[in-house]
Amino acid sequence: MLEALLLQRIAYGIKPNELARLKEIGFEAYIDEQLSPVDAEDAELLKVLKSYKVEAEFKKNGRQVKETWGLDYLNADNKKLWTLYQNRKELSHQEKNRPSGEVVIATWLRALYSKWQLREIIVDFWNNHFNISIDAHDAMPILLPIHDREVIRKHALGNFKDFLIAVAKSPCMLYYLDNALSKASPANENYARELFELHTLGAKHYFNHLYNRWREVPGALEGKPEGYIDEDVYEAARAFTGWTVADGRHDEKGGHLPDTGEFYYFEGWHDNYQKRVLGVEFNSNQAPMEDGLKVLELVAYHPATAYHICYKLCRRLVEDEPNEGLVKQAAALWLAQKEAPDQIKQVIRFILTHKAFKASLGTKVKRPPELIFSYLRSLGGNFMPNQHLFWMFAISGYRYFAWPTPTGHPDTAEYWLNSSMLLMRWNMMQTLLEDWHKMMDIDLIALQPKAVRTCNEIVDFWIERLLGQAAKGETRLRLVNFLAAGGVEDDIPYGEEREVKYRIYQMVTLLAMTPDFQYR
Amino acid sequence: MQRREFIIGCSAGVALTAMNGVQSFAFAPENNSNAPKEIVIFLFLRGGFDALHFLAPVSDKNYQDARPKGLRIEENEGLALKNTLGGLDFKLHPKAAPLKEIYDSGKLAFIHACGLTNGTRSHFDAMDLIERGLVEKQGGAEGWMARYLQQTNLGDAMIPAVASGWEMPLSLVGNNLSASIGNVAEFDLKGDKRFAGILKHLYQGEGLLNKTAQQTLETIQYIQQQIPRKANNKPADYHAEHGADYPMEWQIKGFSESLMNLARLIKMDLGVHLATVDFGGWDMHDNQNYLFPQKLDALSRALAAFYNDMSTYHPRLTIVAMSEFGRRLKANKSMGTDHGYGGVAMVMGGKVKGGKMYGQWPGLANEELDNRVDLKVTTDYRYILAELLEKRLASTSLATILPGLEKYEALNFL
Repeated sequence: MLEALLLQRIAYGIKPNELARLKEIGFEAYIDEQLSPVDAEDAELLKVLKSYKVEAEFKKNGRQVKETWGLDYLNADNKKLWTLYQNRKELSHQEKNRPSGEVVIATWLRALYSKWQLREIIVDFWNNHFNISIDAHDAMPILLPIHDREVIRKHALGNFKDFLIAVAKSPCMLYYLDNALSKASPANENYARELFELHTLGAKHYFNHLYNRWREVPGALEGKPEGYIDEDVYEAARAFTGWTVADGRHDEKGGHLPDTGEFYYFEGWHDNYQKRVLGVEFNSNQAPMEDGLKVLELVAYHPATAYHICYKLCRRLVEDEPNEGLVKQAAALWLAQKEAPDQIKQVIRFILTHKAFKASLGTKVKRPPELIFSYLRSLGGNFMPNQHLFWMFAISGYRYFAWPTPTGHPDTAEYWLNSSMLLMRWNMMQTLLEDWHKMMDIDLIALQPKAVRTCNEIVDFWIERLLGQAAKGETRLRLVNFLAAGGVEDDIPYGEEREVKYRIYQMVTLLAMTPDFQYR
Repeated sequence: MQRREFIIGCSAGVALTAMNGVQSFAFAPENNSNAPKEIVIFLFLRGGFDALHFLAPVSDKNYQDARPKGLRIEENEGLALKNTLGGLDFKLHPKAAPLKEIYDSGKLAFIHACGLTNGTRSHFDAMDLIERGLVEKQGGAEGWMARYLQQTNLGDAMIPAVASGWEMPLSLVGNNLSASIGNVAEFDLKGDKRFAGILKHLYQGEGLLNKTAQQTLETIQYIQQQIPRKANNKPADYHAEHGADYPMEWQIKGFSESLMNLARLIKMDLGVHLATVDFGGWDMHDNQNYLFPQKLDALSRALAAFYNDMSTYHPRLTIVAMSEFGRRLKANKSMGTDHGYGGVAMVMGGKVKGGKMYGQWPGLANEELDNRVDLKVTTDYRYILAELLEKRLASTSLATILPGLEKYEALNFL
């Protein structure tokens, strides 16, 4: 069942209609279809997004208020969001956090119901690559819909240089990595450092021992330094001084910045003199923003960036320690297509159609999103997430838009497998199916076809549904054993209806706790 | 390396049933166990803790000039310390008053201008190297604590190493003796009582997933066996001892809870020998004038509370705290500091020769700085770990645990 395994990788788990589509048109055509998503052709998701309602309870002017909210801020423009920010002092905590709450809910609904699953996998990749934590500044929860829509989703399959510029100018990123406050002089180095180390060239290409001896960086004298040094960070930080958010603050020159909540370049904070970044000289007194844009072009087109990002893409899509040949070929394509509007899409297609991809299926350990969503999708119930899911993810180690450090969530099994997190994974399967938090509408018995009657048949049905392939080792044996509970395995489960129902629910929970279900 | 094989072949369900009605299972701290008695705790202050905003020679003009008010310790506000480096007028930030009490009692030592000698200003590289006990990148190396555990006879310790938190830090990665425990009171498997026994059968064989699963199932059994219980068989609430007052404001609650969780684990007599605790969020590129005092206040009160709570254990308890690097001497224009180099370490415990600063002060004049920009590192962080390993853990495998460390000079803080 290659198709079922594929859906564990390029989708958040198995869903019958998608499995059918994949079988119908074949793998390559399916990838192409997935890489050209059309929002209008996503009927189930659109319906769910439209009908989603949350019962909000909060205190307003000393009174307890109850309201029913839809996803009203998800598509809101900057003006509507910024008005909310400007009025924040009169709003409750719940009202202020509505925009980010809606983005989180919509992210889950898309993972569960969108037809364009591969896009969701890639969006999650970029959310981690360009990690932000909305806890870093009051305006971030309010502006998150813009960041999610106009920066991450808009560019997720597009051109990396355009993407990088959009991120650099995104108010959420400007707040998160403090560039919004960076002024001459000394500049605030936070964004510039993570730009090199995390967003582009990667720590592997940080020649820290050379510090200020830029001519000694291999390739530097030919104008092609292989990596960066601390002085590049200092200089890039100077280049981005004045890249800020129009949030009405004092400009320290006797005036105020405009108050629109949009990106703003303020010449008064810019360090305008000559610079040298990656061995390239910048003249003094460039036109507005030219210094920063030049840095972004240098790093976006750098071969180390191609390697770094392709390595991470392969780690996400293929395996924890990806094959060096695959990464290098992907990086070569990345560079060759650096100006193409669909550069990222081309590279992803290359990786997914490479033979190393198919060979790796079933070897990656699921992180909490893949674990939870594949469980919910393959069970097949009607699941409407609420804020409890946020906490379930948080205790399992996955913090949507709130991972504190700019690295994003780790993507190797080593991080996700320790006693605390494994226990959490097991217990969550129980919490979800028993529906402690009123999110799930499912009847497992009703989902079983009439012909599925004996213990053996029931277990096989759920194995097929959740794993899409035969279980390994003793898994099937132990599950049948559990369901039969001492009775005959090739007969219907004995006992009162209530007991049988309990055992079936527990058996399905247990199936999701097996080693088989931990891999994708 | 050995461990008591507990309830082999006996399903967790049976073990749990057998325990019903047991109200309190707490042992006295000293029993007949042959597990190692020392307890060493590694506290990682992640994000780059600003050593120069914590403890600095306040009248040095280089210091006063490099930092605006709010990012420096003022001469008239800092807490004067005895036994400073070179007899200079080092003063402690006023928010660290609870730590000064422990320093004055002779149980806390500061090691200044210490750190990683690699020169990296990357958080993630620096943390990675320190947790693996390295100075240069080496592929696939396990954590330094994991390497120590592999070299050590752990007797019948049930949980010889614990990360108090939901994550497993790199320092403990690479062995299957360490457990990460976020909240001991909730460390139990939900669902049917037969699950534990079945999972034990299914997670067989090699590989990280199987090993982790086996170790998790054992850890659950040990904890369920040892945790003190109320009359209704639910885990008892934790009550700190000796009037220890853990701060519980929202900014600090998480850290206090990790410390209480650790205190509780140690007192459950599970044989905890090594432990890690994390306290992150020190990366203050802006707003440091507001953030640092608030966070330092929390750190100081929480650590002092933990130290009090653990009074009975002081003769065998040592806590070492450090960060991946210090911060830039000169502040930036957004009331913050950028990534620096030399940092400060704290060592606290009954056997610590405290009330004294250790190390060598390199000075803060331009030519005395690393790359003319940051406080120099004059003490390799591994010397601190080596002294701890040798004197408190009686380890003779320093070169294995801290690869490449040929020799070291003890600072004699122990």
